[in-house]
Order: sequence, then structure tokens, then C-alpha cells
Amino acid sequence: MRFLPLALLVCLLTAGDTPPVRIFMYSEYIDPTLADAFKAKTGFTLDIQLYEAQEEMIAKLQTGGTDQYDVLVASGVVVKQMIGLKLIQTLDQTLIPNKANVGKAFLNHAFDPGNQYGYPYFWGTSGLMYDPAKVKGEPTWAWVLDPASQPGPFTLLDEAKTTIASTLAYQGKDMNSRITAEVKVAVTALAAAKNSPKCLGFAGGVDGKNRVVSGEAVVAMVYNGDAARGMTEKPGLKYGLPKEGAEIWIDMLMVSAKAPNKAGAHALINFLLDADVAAQNANFIQYATPVEAAMKKIKPELLANPAIYPTADELKRTHYLEDLGKDSRMWDAGWTAVKSH
Amino acid sequence: MTLPRWVPAVSWLGMTLLYLPLLAVAVLSFNSTRYGQSWGGFTVDWYARMVSNEAILSAAWNSLVLGVISTVLATVLGTLLAIGLNRTPWPRWFKRGSDLAINLPVVTPDIILAIALVGAFAVLREWSAAFKPGMTTLIIAHTTFQISFVTLVVSSRLTTIGKDQVEAARDLYANTGQIWLRVLLPQLMPGIIAGALLAFTISLDDFVVSFFVTGPEATTLPLLIYASVRRGVTPEIHALSTVIVVGTMLAIIAVTWIQAARTAKPQE
Amino acid sequence: MRANTCGWNSRQTTCWSCAIKPVIIHDGYLTTKPHLYGRGALLVGLAFLWMGVFLFAPLAGLSALAFASRGEYGGVEWTFTWENLSRLAGHDEFGFSWNHLLILWRSVVLAAVTTVLCLLIGFPMAFWIAARPAAARPLLLALVMVPSCVNLVIRTYAWQQFLGSQMPAAWVAQHLGLVPDGASLYPTVTAVYLGMVSAMLPFTVLPLYTSVERLDWSLVEAARDLHAGRLRTFRHGILAQCMPGLLAATILTFIPSLGMFVISDMLGGAKFLLVGNLIQQQFGSMNNWPFGATAGLFLVIASLFALWGLRIVSEREAGRR
Repeated sequence: MRFLPLALLVCLLTAGDTPPVRIFMYSEYIDPTLADAFKAKTGFTLDIQLYEAQEEMIAKLQTGGTDQYDVLVASGVVVKQMIGLKLIQTLDQTLIPNKANVGKAFLNHAFDPGNQYGYPYFWGTSGLMYDPAKVKGEPTWAWVLDPASQPGPFTLLDEAKTTIASTLAYQGKDMNSRITAEVKVAVTALAAAKNSPKCLGFAGGVDGKNRVVSGEAVVAMVYNGDAARGMTEKPGLKYGLPKEGAEIWIDMLMVSAKAPNKAGAHALINFLLDADVAAQNANFIQYATPVEAAMKKIKPELLANPAIYPTADELKRTHYLEDLGKDSRMWDAGWTAVKSH
Repeated sequence: MTLPRWVPAVSWLGMTLLYLPLLAVAVLSFNSTRYGQSWGGFTVDWYARMVSNEAILSAAWNSLVLGVISTVLATVLGTLLAIGLNRTPWPRWFKRGSDLAINLPVVTPDIILAIALVGAFAVLREWSAAFKPGMTTLIIAHTTFQISFVTLVVSSRLTTIGKDQVEAARDLYANTGQIWLRVLLPQLMPGIIAGALLAFTISLDDFVVSFFVTGPEATTLPLLIYASVRRGVTPEIHALSTVIVVGTMLAIIAVTWIQAARTAKPQE
Repeated sequence: MRANTCGWNSRQTTCWSCAIKPVIIHDGYLTTKPHLYGRGALLVGLAFLWMGVFLFAPLAGLSALAFASRGEYGGVEWTFTWENLSRLAGHDEFGFSWNHLLILWRSVVLAAVTTVLCLLIGFPMAFWIAARPAAARPLLLALVMVPSCVNLVIRTYAWQQFLGSQMPAAWVAQHLGLVPDGASLYPTVTAVYLGMVSAMLPFTVLPLYTSVERLDWSLVEAARDLHAGRLRTFRHGILAQCMPGLLAATILTFIPSLGMFVISDMLGGAKFLLVGNLIQQQFGSMNNWPFGATAGLFLVIASLFALWGLRIVSEREAGRR
């Protein structure tokens, strides 16, 4: 019995020795109570580091930050870039048995064949949030892009790839077009839409949502998570994917190239892919989980919400955005042109 | 001298412009709706949550420590620089060159500064592990761009002071040390304090440089706030900002009060 | 007095043997140039060494980056290219365009108008503070700086809230017919300048105050006694004396305003890119670090030119005292 205090002391002294697992992600993108569950299950402490935009994360990693984080969260469109820049490492698949829980539709993307580098975390869409009292009909990009059919004040998403891709979709072109002429036409149309008197400018998804909720705008280009939140703030608002086509995105969990705690990183990814954990996380964050095994534990009201879980019809007209390699410079020049004229 | 009547009016306009957003922030910190702009009702919950939020408290402490240390360093270096430049008969090319060098951090965009500093630390890390991303690199980075601001303010003050008093003191057989300590420095104090204040606020609010230069254990308030803004600014952040403002104001009032009490003490 | 090459003090006792230890009178006492330089070097050396290691050397390295190529995925490839400079001049994937010039122009206009507004409000403020009793002055100065302690994004967000459609300010504007019903007061040009002035005012007032506080009012009275009109009294009596502070204030307001973009984005609807946006994006979403370095260094050089111009103007004004 007298060894108990000593044993406790030893435990206390060595408890600090387990290195933390650092995850670098957006704010409010994980249920904070999961940290305790993670520690109980694996013994590792979870340390959440935040970034505001994933391009900042990439910039920071490029300047030698790869040894400061273990797990990275970023969307699929930049994965190819991160592989090329050697910012992430291949996974040890044996340490992630829970990968079997992930729905087949969310595995094996073109940007990461065989999921050598990452597994999906949450997925979602970008579309239009609108007030059905003031805007009638099926969602279409014409509400924001066609000066003749704009129903009222609106905001566009301040995100180059998504906005240009959506304009291309509206014009019936490939959302990942590499043809200069097509992009040029899209860019001109986008600049005209921006300069139309009803346009309140470019805004982040949250700002756009706030505008629709407060009534200053009748339609806004937003991410689905923002729309879901807006619909809770003001019931009656709707979110829809335009009939011409919309973006579907997926955020991936990856391990940093020089991760100090490789074992912990894999343990965390495996933990997040566990059916119960994924369900709890998805119910809290209110984004769509790719973990199929968790679907039966998702709250029914979330499943019924098309802003979080789109219908199969809607999914048919969504496309993933790709990394365009050399042609991304052309898109960048296009975005500069949109915002200069 | 009597000022024209519109001078106080414009001054109050200026103060209003400065404090209007802060008032809005303070009001919003009592809003019970978490997201969105509608008024939900009065509550002090956010303050309670903020005080118990470990992440916020540690970031606030980091920002404070960083601000104080880097400001002290920058004020010392900057003041010495200003005095050395102003009180030495440098040749013209040196003065032009120093001008350029001092203005460089003011003129360089934050992101370029950040990349330059990160590059410097990457090279220095090979030489000594002290340059690992963390509090040390943060302090060094902040001091580097603060020096210019201090020097600019102190220099302009030095130029205004002129040489007459120094020469008069010299005629009264004072040596250089006495002149600098008892004639120059007291006159310079308002300039030094102004420069230090400027430097401190720049450090407190810096985001871009801090983001690139820091490590995961040394998060500062702006980093925490920026990351949280993406999901919508919550009243918790507003509560934090209000606390910062009120705290700073109280500190200033306290310092001024102590100063006034000290000068009011009868001569001993 | 004979013209000499030493430049500092016209009361030099020996003026032609500047190469050997000349004994000079500096600040009223006898000393030698090497002694002065030695002391000066010690004072400036510390700061310059610090800045040299952590800033000047890496900036020089960055200039090399301006001639490097962008790697396929956005990294840096150290192959020499003129592409970044030609891109800066307007040649991009769509051919030639005036985009970058437009961006620069908008930034300059924003910074210039902000500076003028800040000076118009800040100068009277500095005078007003200097006219307060001595005990109140440091308090007031500190109160001017306190708002800068709050994060810029938060303050700008607060302006957004304040100018929102449900708030009293927008209400008044709607009733006056200035904006349509239900609209907020942003994004507008006024909103942007409200935000910019409110953000940059402390950086104008503080340097101005350091000059205003030491104003020699006897000179102003002398000018008035000599029947100078109000404008001339102001220009030659007050303005000329405040030149150092005015210059510092202009620099500390104009230059940072050139690189700002957060306020314009949040209160102006992010419809137009400013120089700050352009540079930031190169290190962010567009991942083109060589071009970012080029654009950034261009801004630095352009600002230094502006600085040089400001200094010449101020020296000429001060010379007319």
C-alpha cells in the first residue's frame, strides 16, 4: 500500500512523456470531447492547432513547418500539390484498420489513388443559399451570374477555384476546364456579375450566410455547412445545388512529411474513422461524414437536411475540383482579371 | 494659446471614430446569440467561458510576454539607433543609407517580412537549436520590425529638440554622460514612450509574421482570433477584445495616477 | 566660412586636413572625428547588426527569388527567368493587360486619401492633446493607442456590425433615402474610408504630437505680430516647425496603408484587388512565391521612392522657415 503514492508519482512524472499528437485544421472542425476519448483509447494527448485557410497551412509547411505537426487536414484539390511539394508522407496502411468503414464512393480519388496519402474526414458542397420567399424556382447560377435574372442583392464566394468553376458550369463547360478561351469567357462574365449593381461583393461563406439571414441579401454563394447553420438561425431559408452543376469537396486526413509522432498520427486517423467516433463528430460538427459505418448513428434531422446530406439527384450534378497543374496559373491570372476590372 | 473652436470638435470626432467599433464590440460581447447579428438578450456567459478557456488564456499570456519583451528590446535598440544617428556627424551617404535601412521594415509588406524572417531562422537553425520556431523566434521577429517604428518616432522628436540646450549645458561644464542623461533623455522621454506604445500595439496585433515564425507551443492572440473568425466571430472573441481594451485602459489610468501621486508628493 | 567636406559643423577649426585626426567642435566641445564615429558606431551598430542578420540579409536573398521560377506544384525552382518581371508588367496567360497597373493605382489612391483624411483629423487632435494640462496628456495619448490593441479584423468586423442594415446608422440613411430600404451601409467607399481612418489615425496622431508638443508659440506670435495672414502664419509658423513630426506621420500612415487590404475587403466587398491582396495571394492560394517576391519587392522600391519624394518636399518646406 505504501508503494501507491510512489506509483502515482511515477505515473504523474511519466504521463507528460507521451508526446502529443498535433493536428492542424480549421477552427471548430472537431468535437472537443473527442480529445478525452482519444486519450483514453490510445494514451496520446490531442493538440489542436488552427489555421484560417488551407493555403496558409501549405505556405507554412513549405517554410519548414512539416516537423511541427503530425496530422494535416486539407481538401482533396490540394493533395496532389502537397504530394508534389513533399509535405506529406505515405501512410502505413496496417495501422489504419478502420479504413474499411469508409464508403467506397469516397475512396480512391484521382488525386490519391489507393489512398496512399490520406483518408477522408468530412465532405460537402458549395452552392446557393436563398430566401424562398423572395426567390422563386429551382436554384440556378443565373441568380448570381446573369444580370437579367438576378432576383435581388447577392454575394459571391471569395474563393477563386470554386467561383470560376461554378461560372464555367453555368456556361455549360467543364468545371475543370484547361482551355484558355473558355476560362477567359467565364472570367469576363464573372467580372460583369461582380460589377452589377445588385452584387454586394465577394464574401466568405459565413459572411454570405449572415447577409441572407439578416435580409440584406436574398441569395448567397456559400459552403453547405454555413447554409446549415443559417437555416438553424432563420428557419425557412433554403440551400440548393444549382442545376448547371456544383462543386463537391472532400477534406482529407494526412500525415505530415516529418511528423514527430508518426505512431500517434496514424492512431488519430484510425480513431477518427471509427464508426462511433465519426458519428459523434458528424453530429456535432454538422458536416457529412464519409464513414459509411457511421451513417446509422447520424441524427435523423441531419440526414434529412439536404444542406448536409444532399439527395442522390443533387449529387449527380456535382463535380470534384482538380488540381490543374500548369494551367492553374491561367486560372490565377483569370481571378486577378476578375478582381481588377 | 487658445485653439480655434473647431479643433476640439474635430478631436472628439477622431476619438469617436477610434472608439465606435470598440463600443460595438463591447455591446456584442453581451449578446446571447452565438452566431449571426440579431440581438438575443443580455448575458455575461461569454466572459465566464472566456476566462475558463485554456487556449485563450495561454494565447493572451504569450501575446503579453511577447509584447513586453520585444517592446523593451526594440525601444532600447531603436532609441540608441536614433541618438547615434542624430548626434554623430555621419557623412551624407551614411545618413541616406541609414534612412533607407530604417524605413525598410515599415515599407515592406508583412508577408515579405515573414518570409524573410523565416528564411533567416531556417539558416540560423543549422547553427543553433535556439532558433526553432517558438517564443524565441517570435520575440526576435517582432523586435526586428518594431525597431524601425521606435527609431522613426524618437528621431523626429530628437530633430525637434535641437542643439541649443545641449550646447548650453556644455557651456556649463557638463560632460557627455551628464548631458545625455539629464538634458537629452528627459526631453526625449515623450518620444520614447510614444515609440514604445506604437511598437507594443504593433506587436499585439501582428498576425502574418507571427503565423509563419511561431511554433505550435507559442500561439498568440491574433493567431487564435484569426482562425476563429473563419467560422464567424463569436461573442467570446468580442468578450476577449473588450477585456483587452478595458484592461489596457485600467493599466494606463493606474500608471498615470501613480505618476500624478508621485509628482504631487511634497519635496523632501 | 570656407566650404568643407565634413559637412556637419561650420565651426570647424581645421578644415582642409580632414583626412588626419582633425579636432572639431561638436555640440560645443572639442573632440575628434574618430572618437565621435566610434561612439556613433557603437550606438547604431547594435541595432543595425540585429536588423542586418534578421532582415537585410534575408531580403537580399528574397531579391534572388524574384528571378527564380515557380515549380510545378508551387515550390521554387532555382532556374533564372525574367518571367516574374514580365508578369509584373502585365504579361500573363491571357496576353497583355493593365491589371497590375490598375491594382497599383487603386492602392495608391486609397493610401493617399486615407493619409490626407488622417492628417486633417489628426493634426487638430495633436494640438488639442498638447493643449490639455500636462497630467492629462500621456493619458490621452495612450487612449489614442488603446484601440490598436484590438485585432484589426475584429475592429473591422465591428464596423460591419455597426453599419449593418438593422443598426441606427443604416436606419437614418434609409429614411433619408441615401440607401434602399433594408440595405446596409457597406460595401461602400465611405465604409472603407471610415475603417481605414479609424485604423490608421493613431499612427498619425502620435508622431504629429511629438512635434506639436514642442512647438515654439513665440515664433507663431511673432509671425502674427508681423501682420502675416492666418494661412501664412500657419504655414510658416506652425507647419514649418512641425515638419519632422508631419513627415513621420505621413510615412507611418501612407506606407502601411499602401499594403493594407483587410479593410478594403471586409468593408468594400472584396471587389477589387489591392497590392496587398496580390502579394498575399502569391504566397497563399496561388502559390507563386517568385512572383510574390517580385511584387513585394516592387512595392518596397516604389514606397522607398515615395519616401524619398516626401523627404525632399519636407526639407524644402523646412528650409523656407
